[in-house]
Amino acid sequence: MITSLQLHLSKVFLKIFLRDIQSMIFNIFFPLAFIAAFMFSGSGSESINIGVIDNASNISSKNFTDLIKDDPLFEVTEGTEINLKEQLLSGEQVAIIVVPKSFDYTEGTSELKLLLDASQVRQINQIRTAIENSLLSVERKLSNTQPMFSLKVEDFKARPQRYVDFLLPGLLAFMLMNLSLGGSGFNIVEYRRRGILKRLFVTPIEPKDFITSIVLARMMIVVIQLSAVLGFAILLLGVRIEGSLFSLYGMIMMSTFIFLCLGFCFGSLAKTQEAIRPLVTSFTFPQLILSGVFFPISSLPDIIQPIAQFLPLSVVVNGLRSIALDGISLFTLDSSMFGVIIWAVLSFFLATKYFVWKEVAG
Amino acid sequence: MNIIEVKDLQKSYPRPENKKETFNAVDGISFNIQAKEIYGILGPNGAGKTTTLEMLEGLKDINSGTAMINGIDVKKHPYRVKKIIGVQLQANEYFDKLDLSELLILFGKLYSEEIDCMDLLEKVGLSDKLKAKPKQLSGGQKQRFSIACALVNNPKILFLDEPTTGLDPQAKRNLWKLVKELNHLGMTIVLTTHNMEEAEYLCDRIAIMDGGKIIAEDTPQELINKYAPEPSDLPLQGNIEDVFLTLTGHNLRD
Repeated sequence: MITSLQLHLSKVFLKIFLRDIQSMIFNIFFPLAFIAAFMFSGSGSESINIGVIDNASNISSKNFTDLIKDDPLFEVTEGTEINLKEQLLSGEQVAIIVVPKSFDYTEGTSELKLLLDASQVRQINQIRTAIENSLLSVERKLSNTQPMFSLKVEDFKARPQRYVDFLLPGLLAFMLMNLSLGGSGFNIVEYRRRGILKRLFVTPIEPKDFITSIVLARMMIVVIQLSAVLGFAILLLGVRIEGSLFSLYGMIMMSTFIFLCLGFCFGSLAKTQEAIRPLVTSFTFPQLILSGVFFPISSLPDIIQPIAQFLPLSVVVNGLRSIALDGISLFTLDSSMFGVIIWAVLSFFLATKYFVWKEVAG
Repeated sequence: MNIIEVKDLQKSYPRPENKKETFNAVDGISFNIQAKEIYGILGPNGAGKTTTLEMLEGLKDINSGTAMINGIDVKKHPYRVKKIIGVQLQANEYFDKLDLSELLILFGKLYSEEIDCMDLLEKVGLSDKLKAKPKQLSGGQKQRFSIACALVNNPKILFLDEPTTGLDPQAKRNLWKLVKELNHLGMTIVLTTHNMEEAEYLCDRIAIMDGGKIIAEDTPQELINKYAPEPSDLPLQGNIEDVFLTLTGHNLRD
């Protein structure tokens, strides 16, 4: 049962935080900016900048160039070899197709040369395949043959999914991790260093009152900030949450609890402000990369995947994603839910074991 | 009537240079403090003054010995003791984002007391600072605010840990006056200090600590009579500082 003291103290912590405008703006602005950036860069299908050097300048080559230009996959620039090569080096062009002097598709196979800067292109194979596919359809049009197959892609979950839909749960998880660690670990080290904790603990306040208040206040803060980002994403970007908001917020609360507990552990381990920063960074930074915030864990190297899956941020990202994208309920006991429960129990155990009161206060 | 009874109080810490060994920061001290007394604990740095206070305040565990405050055993019932004492610590920092009235209300809540902020701030001469933030206070004002915070539960005993360290003479005198006033209202006051003049002016009795032990305890006048060096051709004179240096030596501490 929450006492009136705990409630008052939570309100105080909340007030302290809400008055810290700088950190609040920073906390909300960063994820919003991120989402917006990905939103706009991802809008419309991305076309590949491609240069064409037409050395033949005959009807065949003109036809070919026009058809390439029609392909929505490419943004075609025609030009001279020197010009385009410069653009390739500077990264303006991804590839250059060189049409040879002897180009004439009516007479057997003509060879096209594809120039690439391998150091600048991340997915050479994909681009090569894309170009080959396009060439194939160009070939069909030029030779007037019907394609034998056509592939119609249909999402079997029958709903559109954009990168921003995938990104949002990851960013929410990352946000709540930072807010929770900052609110427990960092705060405690800071309050201890300045003697504020000591001052509180000469009054009859009990550790459990203090902890409960911090946990309550932080959960409120996380809910407020995540709601702001979530609201922005839903209202302005049209992001859809498949599962219920109840499940989503339930998962957010549980996840916040995990990171608050871990934060209390860090706050006890690190004695100084200088020590907690690298400690927390060495915890958060690898998870930013390994926990599937920006791209799925399955795209990581095979050796890392099994480890990455068990990281606390991974289970939280998974949990939020399965609610937001797949519409799973909070009470569905699948693997991601199971992971969250295990981490909640584990972090609570660690926090109660390592949180040293006398040291925190003194 | 003794309001504080301390017997064989002891606290040991691992040595900073060799963690396996321990040293006694407070080495089996005993003393009694009467109700409504101003009792000073005087000593060089590292003498064990703050550790002694923090054990009495329930902030630090007592290794051995007993401390009874108003008949309550501190070791057994630290929370019951905390309810009847007021404490001003050496470091007096508070949450930056709250103003003085909010801080006082918070401290009141910690004792489950509804408080009158204005009344408390008037007591310590800060009635115009109700909405100020702690950062905006001067050193002396900060110390007086600390005392206001220590008064929210109307304590029987007030513990002051070096209350005038770092204050200018005006602020120091002002604080002494406040301490005297509180004492006249019936509060028992226990304070630690480096300041001999302060001990001499304020305290009914003084304990001089060195190396974790109490090496002398009496009224200021008696201590002067006993320990101040006797000048050969002048009548008996000297002050508590002379007593202090005679007893603890002239070596630098830290």
